[in-house]
Parts: sequence; C-alpha cells; structure tokens
Amino acid sequence: MDARRAEVRALEAEIAALRRACEEPRAPGEDTSRARKSLQEVHQSDSGEWAASKDLRGHLGHLESELLFLSTLTGINIINYSMKTEVLTSTENTEKSIKKVLQRHRLSGNCHMITFQLEFQILEIQNKESLSSVITDLNIIMEPTEYSELSEFVSRAEDRRDLLMFFRSLHFFVEWCEYRKCTFEHFKEKYSEAVRLPEGAASSCMVVQSPRQPGFELVIIWRIQIDDEGKVLPKLDLLTKVPQQALELDKNRVLETAPLGFRALLGVLGIEATLESLIKSLCVGENH
Amino acid sequence: MEWANDKSKGGVLAHLERLETQMSRSCKNLEDPPRETAESDLGTKIRKLRCLRDKLRAEVKQRQARIKASTANAEPDQTLEISEQEAVGGKEENMKAILQAYRFTGLSGKRTSRGVCVCISTAFEGNLLDSYFVDLVIQKPLRIHHHSVPVFIPLEEISAKYLQTNIQHFLFCLCEYLNAYAGRKYQADQLQRDFAAFLAGPLQRNSLCNLLSFTYKVEPQSRSFPFCARLLYKDLTTTLPTDVTITYQGTDASSTSWEEQRASHENLFFTKPLHQVFTSFARNGERLDMSLVS
Repeated sequence: MDARRAEVRALEAEIAALRRACEEPRAPGEDTSRARKSLQEVHQSDSGEWAASKDLRGHLGHLESELLFLSTLTGINIINYSMKTEVLTSTENTEKSIKKVLQRHRLSGNCHMITFQLEFQILEIQNKESLSSVITDLNIIMEPTEYSELSEFVSRAEDRRDLLMFFRSLHFFVEWCEYRKCTFEHFKEKYSEAVRLPEGAASSCMVVQSPRQPGFELVIIWRIQIDDEGKVLPKLDLLTKVPQQALELDKNRVLETAPLGFRALLGVLGIEATLESLIKSLCVGENH
Repeated sequence: MEWANDKSKGGVLAHLERLETQMSRSCKNLEDPPRETAESDLGTKIRKLRCLRDKLRAEVKQRQARIKASTANAEPDQTLEISEQEAVGGKEENMKAILQAYRFTGLSGKRTSRGVCVCISTAFEGNLLDSYFVDLVIQKPLRIHHHSVPVFIPLEEISAKYLQTNIQHFLFCLCEYLNAYAGRKYQADQLQRDFAAFLAGPLQRNSLCNLLSFTYKVEPQSRSFPFCARLLYKDLTTTLPTDVTITYQGTDASSTSWEEQRASHENLFFTKPLHQVFTSFARNGERLDMSLVS
C-alpha cells in the first residue's frame, strides 16, 4: 500500500514540475530580449537600432493608413510593386549631355473583384533643356475575363500606353458594375415574381415578366461601355417580347416605340426610377 | 447573509474555518483515510498519472529541442531582434514603394499634420507630364491650404461643386481638367517644336491652350502658307477640339481640290491630336515627293 501511495505522490510531484516547465516562456533568450526592450523603452536609450526599431513600428502604422486612404480614394488596391532601372549607353556618338534610363515596372493588385497585373517600361531621356518620361511598353493582364467590354478597353489602353486612363476607367467601370448588380438584386428582391435574372445579378440582362400574362416580357439590357476617351457610360436598351396576338391588337404601336420611350424615360427619371416604373406597369393590379 | 451583518465575528469565524480546513487536510496527509481505497482504484490512478507524466515529458523534450535549435546560432536574442527588424524594415520598403506606385493611377499623396496633400499626375498618350498638388486641411468645412493648380483651371468652381460633399469626385474632376490641359499643351508644344517649318510664324494660343490659331501649309516645298486654322476646345475636359475652322487663303481659289483639302483637314483636326495631323501631312508630303521622283 505504501509503495503505491509513494508512487502516486512521486508521479504527482513530477507532473507538477513538468507542468511548470511547460508554462515557462518559450525560450530564455526571447525572454531576456523582451525584457531588454522594455528596459530600453523605460530608460529611453539613445541606441540607434532600438530607436529605429520602435519608430519603425509606429511608422508602419502611418504608412498603412496612407495606403488605405489612397486605395479608398482611387478605388485601386495595389498589392505589389517593383522597379528595375537600366542606364542605356548609346552606341552613337555619346553626347554627354543626354542621359537615357529605361525603367521596368511591375505592378499588381485589384479593383474590387477584378485583379490586374501590369508590366510596363518607361524611358527617361534627360537632355540639357528637359527631362522627358515616356511609357514605351504596356502589358496588362486582367481577371476575370468575363467582362467582354473590358477586353477591348484593355487592348486600347495597351496600344495607347495610357496607364492613367486605364486605372481611372477601370475604377469607374467597376463602380458601375457594382451599381448595376445592386440595382438588379434590389428589383429581384422587391418584385420577385415579376423579375428574372437569367444570367445572374452580375450580368447585363434583367427580364421583367407580367405574372398574370407570362407571354409578355420586357428585357432590359444594361451595358457598361468605355468610349474612346476612356469615359465610362451606361447604355440601356429595352427589348420587348409579346405574343403575336398582342402585336396585332397594338393599334397605337406602343410596342414598336417602347425602346425609344424607354430611352426618353431614362433621361427624365434616371435608371432606377425608370426600371421601377416599367416593372410596376407590368404588375398593375398586383399587391406588393 | 447572517455573516455579513456579523462583520467582526465573520472575520474571526472565517479564520477559524480556515484553520479547521488546514487541520483536516494535514490530518488526511498523515493518516490513512478511514475508508481504504480499493486496490483497483489506486491502480487506475497510477496508470493515469503515468500516462500524464509521459505526455508532459515528451512536451518538455520538444521544447528543449526547440530551444537548442534556436540557441544553435551565435546569439539567440540578437538574431531574434534583427530578424524582426528586418521583417519590419522589409515591409516598410514594400509599402513605401507601393505608395510611390500610386502616381501611376493619377492620384497619390501623403498625410500631413493638417490633413492630406494629394498629388495629381498627368499624362498624354504615354507621355508622363507635369504633376500638381492640392494640400487639403481636414476640418469642417474642408478647405484647400495651398495648391499648384494653374489659375486658368476653374479650381474654385470645381471645389464649390464637390469639395464639401465628395472629395473623390472633386479630385477626379480636377484630375480630368488637369489631364486635358496637359494634353492640349503637349500637342501645342509638339507642333511648335517639331513642325515649325509648316507654320508661318509661331502658334498662337491662350494659357488654357483651348484656343489655337495658326497659318500652315502641307507641302514642305511650297513657299506659301495657304491654310488658316482656328481650333476651339469648348469642353475643357477633352484633348480634341470641339470647333474647327479651316479657311483657304491661297490665290488659287477656283480649284475644287483646295476645297476638298480644306474639308479633309477639318475632319483630321477634329479626330486626331494636333501634332499627329502634321505628322501625316509630313508623311503625305514625302509620298508626294516620292511619286514625283518615280
């Protein structure tokens, strides 16, 4: 009995000691360094390294807030950037007053759901009078590639080497896409019986059907286009689908002129109000 | 509750209670408890304790191994410090670089003690041009502390419309105006610089570079300058003119080819940047020369 009890006590003691060993801070080294740091801070040592290290952490927070401000302002979130420079030595009669530098830039990031990777080259020519900087090459890779309006825009930007316009237009394009998606989702939720989104909320198409007369359909096509100057504009069109019978009864040719009327209405009421009034007109008599 | 009222007694009572518990504990340690634990119970307990002890032993061994690994380097605490500093420093370098890269989006900037100083970069067809800054004071109302925007850009108008309600819109709008101005200026400068031979006298322009007037020729060999051009850019956010007037002031007024040329020139000036129009004139002139030779 005693032997067993003694064993129990011995085991308990060993376990207690082992537990204490596990609870100790990770490494004695780390512990002393932490202590030293706090000591430094307390005594406000002038040691350059330590001061820099402390400043660095505060500085990082400052930089982070600047980055957040810029990404919110521009709508563009740059995640990675690197640059290499190469001084070009001309083989022609080397005019000492002309200096040429070729910069190779790599930039990647995202604008909401669209990610991009850019590689571009800038040639800097410094002569007596002035310094000129020209983008000599621009390559853009974007994902996702479903936005067909974007691929044409990207080629144009690459051809023109218009980097600024690329970013500005991308931001507005994405904003319009988000707005379109929100608007479609809103109407789908509000008029769930009448509104259909056959290609999803992120697409350019919304179908409005009269619940009582399923043969009547209004298809709203909302495209977002980027023009030659880089301006982003919504372009909405109305397509009507009605049974043959209705067409024959349409003496006032309302259906024929509907697309034009739609455009006019857009100009007067704006997008949301126009869509709402259109849906309501088909759902006359329904209670929502 | 009863004890709460009885403070002094509570204190003494509590003390007595504690002594009692201590006593009973020490008694338990010295004596065998009245009821003997069965052999099997003790056996299980020992097994459980052994198991726990082995587990803890293994854990401590692992820790010791880790400590040994980290102490393998010359000075463990210093390496920890340096690597942390390096990591932080590397991150700082990356962030600083990204902040610089924002100029390629057209808008960059940094925080100031008052608010923020935004830098607007301009470019035209791949040519990086001047940048301008706007120093904003974050206060109610938001105001511009100082800026480098030229006086002929309608800054007051734009800020009156948007500054208080939407900073982003204000900056984008300003960006548009400045980029358009920089583009027009670039075109005029290029024309003046590279195609002076085609112009009779200097190009006449206003500070905004939205009203240009010049007399020109298309044939390099020709001695007369038969065409007179007046370009107006009513929309200050564009780099192409809204009004183009080309007049033919040559002596050969009867020929229809002059009228055709005049009309085609008008079209060219509407659709192509100024200096590119003249590039095509120069190229056509070359082609014309070649045809004369062959």
